[in-house]
Amino acid sequence: MLRTAKHIVILLTWVLVSSAICAQWLPEKTNRLVNDYSGILTESQRNTLEQRLVAFNDSTSNQILVVITPTLGGDDENAVAQRIGQTWGVGQQEFDNGVVILIKSKIPDEDWGAVAISTGYGVEGALPDLFCKRIIDDHMLSPLGDGDYYRALTAALDIIEPVLAGEYSYAQYRKDERRKGLIALGVFVLFIVVVIVVLGIYVKKHPDSWNHTGSNLGGSGGAFIGGFSSGRSGGGFSGGGFGGFGGGSFGGGGASGRF
Amino acid sequence: MKKTGIIVAIVAVVAVIALWGIGVNNKLVTADENVQKAWSQVENVYKRRMDLIPQLVATVQGAADFEKSTLTEVTNARAGVENTKVDPSQLSEEQIKAYQKAQDQLGKAVANTIKVTVERYPELTATAGFRDLQVQLEGTENRITVERGKFNEAVQGYNTMLRRFPNSIIAGIAGFQKKGYFTAPEEASEPVKVEFNF
Repeated sequence: MLRTAKHIVILLTWVLVSSAICAQWLPEKTNRLVNDYSGILTESQRNTLEQRLVAFNDSTSNQILVVITPTLGGDDENAVAQRIGQTWGVGQQEFDNGVVILIKSKIPDEDWGAVAISTGYGVEGALPDLFCKRIIDDHMLSPLGDGDYYRALTAALDIIEPVLAGEYSYAQYRKDERRKGLIALGVFVLFIVVVIVVLGIYVKKHPDSWNHTGSNLGGSGGAFIGGFSSGRSGGGFSGGGFGGFGGGSFGGGGASGRF
Repeated sequence: MKKTGIIVAIVAVVAVIALWGIGVNNKLVTADENVQKAWSQVENVYKRRMDLIPQLVATVQGAADFEKSTLTEVTNARAGVENTKVDPSQLSEEQIKAYQKAQDQLGKAVANTIKVTVERYPELTATAGFRDLQVQLEGTENRITVERGKFNEAVQGYNTMLRRFPNSIIAGIAGFQKKGYFTAPEEASEPVKVEFNF
């Protein structure tokens, strides 16, 4: 009874929120990879899944987001899953290697549930629509029908994770990051060299203006260093908890099913 | 001495205006590039659907006495799409409108074929080939919706920048033109939804 009441309250809140922001319904962004708005998973199940997905993110840079919601705001499950992926920015920006698994749970008033797997642009090759449909039909719908959401999710992850791990390795990710760092350093060094050369020519031509010009150029050089370092300190990669979504893009790939 | 001062001031003002104009022009170029990038994605997903049509026709043709009129509709709509050419560097309102009309017609024809098949040829819908095709078509329709939305966003950014004063002066000089949006089609059929009841 209490559970039902809780569901109704949640549902009403969603309806109010969704009508306030027009047709484009979206759950509020969190900084977790497992988001159970229906309160179906037990705490230990949620934690286990979260740890598993955070570990997968840390080791491969692939981000898999799980969302369980009691409502879709009157929208299509595919559209909602894509919108969540795009807006939250699941996956790394340079790889678009995010996956959203969305489950619309059965609630007392609506005796139907839905599940959608939405793939980021970068993993459409590794997880084609047909493959997503197979995963849903063959491994998720039956446990979901039994009300065992946790088993459905682990079954899907058991298949998806190894596939994604083969597509993009963390080593590749880090190698690219290092290369980018080296290029930035090269540009910086080149800039310094150019400044020194120009300064040298200028001072040679106008020996008496040394003091004035020197301070000017020093100022602009300082500003450049400031901008440079703040640019580098951007997206960090944390070891402990989830480091945050990477800004991946979604193009509507994936599949869905009803239970 | 006073004269040189005035000249220097004029030169400075002209230089500032020129720099500003170049800046606006470059921003418009970037926005234009974004629109064209979004457009190529739109074309990609529509092409994806085009590529699935022969497969769809081949699959349903397998059924004896399959309604000829339904298939003719698909073939005609496909030809209509092939005859609609869009210049990616322009993307004017008329071009987008004509393109959308042809594509929506094809979408409707495809959805209709699926509907007829599901209703009258249940033995066909049971085959793995048809089911796979349905999944691929559904995925394609989803992608079309997404890419059309992203294209509209890019066009909105571009058009806003273009029409805002005083950018519009530079846009007029440099010859930037307003671009067209995709609109939600009139009669009920929002991005054509393929029905899946199996």
